[in-house]
Amino acid sequence: MAAATTPISSKFSDVDEYGFKRPENFDYKAYEQFMSNYLKTLAKRRKRWEEILEENVDLSNINSKLKRYIRKGIPGPFRPDVWMRISGAYKLQAKSPDLYRSLLNAPHEKEISDSISIDLPRTFPDNIFFETKKDSLYNILIAYAHHNRDVGYCQGLNYIAGLLLIVTEDEEKSFWLLKHMVENIVPQYHTKNMANLLRDMAVFKEMVIRRVPAVNKHIENLGLPYAVIASKWFICVFAEVLPAETVLRIWDCVFSEGYKIVFRVALTMFKTHKSAILAADDIGALANFFREVLIHDEIVTDCHTFMQKVFELRLKRSELESLRKVCVGRNNT
Amino acid sequence: MATTPRSGGSAGGGTAQRPNGTSQSKSCQFKLVLLGESAVGKSSLVLRFVKGQFHEYQESTIGAAFLTQTICIEDTVVKFEIWDTAGQERYHSLAPMYYRGAQAAIVVYDIQNQDSFQRAKTWVKELHKQASPNIVIALAGNKADLSNIRVVEYEEAKQYAEENGLLFMETSAKTGMNVNDIFMAIAKKLPKNDGANNQGAGAGRRLNENENNRQTTNCCK
Repeated sequence: MAAATTPISSKFSDVDEYGFKRPENFDYKAYEQFMSNYLKTLAKRRKRWEEILEENVDLSNINSKLKRYIRKGIPGPFRPDVWMRISGAYKLQAKSPDLYRSLLNAPHEKEISDSISIDLPRTFPDNIFFETKKDSLYNILIAYAHHNRDVGYCQGLNYIAGLLLIVTEDEEKSFWLLKHMVENIVPQYHTKNMANLLRDMAVFKEMVIRRVPAVNKHIENLGLPYAVIASKWFICVFAEVLPAETVLRIWDCVFSEGYKIVFRVALTMFKTHKSAILAADDIGALANFFREVLIHDEIVTDCHTFMQKVFELRLKRSELESLRKVCVGRNNT
Repeated sequence: MATTPRSGGSAGGGTAQRPNGTSQSKSCQFKLVLLGESAVGKSSLVLRFVKGQFHEYQESTIGAAFLTQTICIEDTVVKFEIWDTAGQERYHSLAPMYYRGAQAAIVVYDIQNQDSFQRAKTWVKELHKQASPNIVIALAGNKADLSNIRVVEYEEAKQYAEENGLLFMETSAKTGMNVNDIFMAIAKKLPKNDGANNQGAGAGRRLNENENNRQTTNCCK
């Protein structure tokens, strides 16, 4: 395994704990400061979670206490099991215990197999742990593509499945969690016409108009489509967009609370970066900001504070649902 | 291989000239879209052109990306607004948003992949039908560094391009071969008198002096 070189004057490696290389302009100083507190928080959370898990309650029943705990972060070692339980994926798996193996053993279409194979080497190429996981990633994606024919293989699923694999270190769990994500959290984002993705891009824009109108106006004036800014956020549920730890904190809540979290996070990104977005004075600078700056700046790297901000936002499911009705069929956001 | 556009670090001497600093150089801006099948090298061509970099395993583009690069043709500063699209078939429904109003398109195929050449032809047809009538289209046969294992013959593609009024070059994002050249060839073919081609996103718009701090240009001597 490649040894990570630690940047001078930082006790943190230039590779994060999930094997991802930190960006070149990573602010180690800010990160150290954040981690000095966050590590204590993590230790505390872990103790609390040990107590919960000892009680052996049904975690698929998300009461307000459990929800609160999840929002504060599921400790890393418990994530695979807790995700499987809170999402209901374990229950689904129990109903079809042989499904995954039989999908793998069935004949596979060459066209699907080829398109997955093309994406394997370009999934997390810089991740130092991932090289050995490519066969497992192929298995998850080929099994899912044949399981859900409406989706097949959609680019972007490789990032979701890849990150699931890094966290769970288990092909079959990753398969079931991927299925849950694609079918229950963001259904018909990845299908052949991407209908719901296009609709939700429009919904997101409407929410930005309501919450941060100046930001929307600025983006419109400069002429950058929301699809360029945010389709990857939605398609990948932030995998390969935000720093891994931040994505996992988001996914903790996605598995327990559902799609609303995706909108919460996307809106929080716009709100917290309002002044930086407004400061971009041409479309190139704006696109660059979204592509390279905002996705790993201090605000999102400090996942704990970021998640607090995510939940400060007022957002009701009913608002989202009524906007969805209005936005059906829009395809040019 | 010192071709004209340079960006970021290479202009690090701080001597980058602003268009305003030169005498009366014209400046205009064009919307350019990249289309083509998945994994033919669209993003790699853009990365090479804009940043002079190449990644062996370029991550697949989800949705679309937007970048800019400025080059000089004679006395004119040409700024490209580049819309790099996702290649997978299902992302096709998003594509019209990007080629609508584009003044130029690069349709890319992989010289090792016959299907990608057929797909490129389909894109050309769609552009002829749906895009601006004056759009300048270039066909790029990418991965030319692998020409010993090519399946699409140079002559075949060249003939197709001629029959359809396209610019044509074989390119290699990996070595840089013809990458700047294809953008230059497009820039040369585009009308540069202000307002001549105005239906797109800001054709002939004056460049903002503060734009592109990161992507300086040291051409226009």
